[in-house]
Amino acid sequence: MGAYKSVVISAGKGGWGGPLTITPTDDRPYIYSVTGGGIHPVAARIAEITGGIPFDGFKSSVPFDKIAVAVIDCGGTARVGVYPMKKVLTVDIHATSPAGPLAMFITKELFVSGVKAVDIKES
Amino acid sequence: MPEIVYSSTVTAVGELVPDFAEQGVLVWFGENAPAELHEFSIIHVPEVATRAPQKGDMIKINENVFNVLAVGSVASENLLNLGHLDLKANGLTEPEMPGDVNVEAVSLPTVQVGDRLVVISQP
Repeated sequence: MGAYKSVVISAGKGGWGGPLTITPTDDRPYIYSVTGGGIHPVAARIAEITGGIPFDGFKSSVPFDKIAVAVIDCGGTARVGVYPMKKVLTVDIHATSPAGPLAMFITKELFVSGVKAVDIKES
Repeated sequence: MPEIVYSSTVTAVGELVPDFAEQGVLVWFGENAPAELHEFSIIHVPEVATRAPQKGDMIKINENVFNVLAVGSVASENLLNLGHLDLKANGLTEPEMPGDVNVEAVSLPTVQVGDRLVVISQP
């Protein structure tokens, strides 16, 4: 183990926040896809480059402190805030900005949005 | 003829749901949503899922009736894939977030286990 690589993820078109540097570790190996329709291509791409373990949040669960990054397809209200609230780095596929009842937890250091595969760069 | 295009029954209500309701938001998810989303969500099981709400539809939560004023671009895939609905009682006629389903700015009911959500198309 231990052969993880880092990626830098920037906000895509119309997106907000970041850039985030994602480096899985043996303690936090999971690329957590909380998206409809299985592991999202953005989560798959992050896992492919970093060597992290892709994981479908609608199928099973892992503790927050094992998650390297959460990938969500949130329309702006709920999931955007939950993972930042737990201090988990969060990538939203949709181009959302901080809003909703959990907006106070969404910061540039924890959250980036509007992300497509092209916004993920090996570092 | 009005037609029921979606209906479901509430199976759990998170402890933060009343706080969200006070801010004019009810967040809904299907039963396979990860645990961290249950805290502020109404968990429900659909019986009818022909389609998601569209502008002009009527939404009923038990006997409370709301008129759909606007629907965000990802609201349909959210509901049909994940059972996820962000119902916002803010009177907006253009969705603020891609996941929003907007209805009149009225107070939202206290939702309990066994309550029913119904979406009815209007002729």
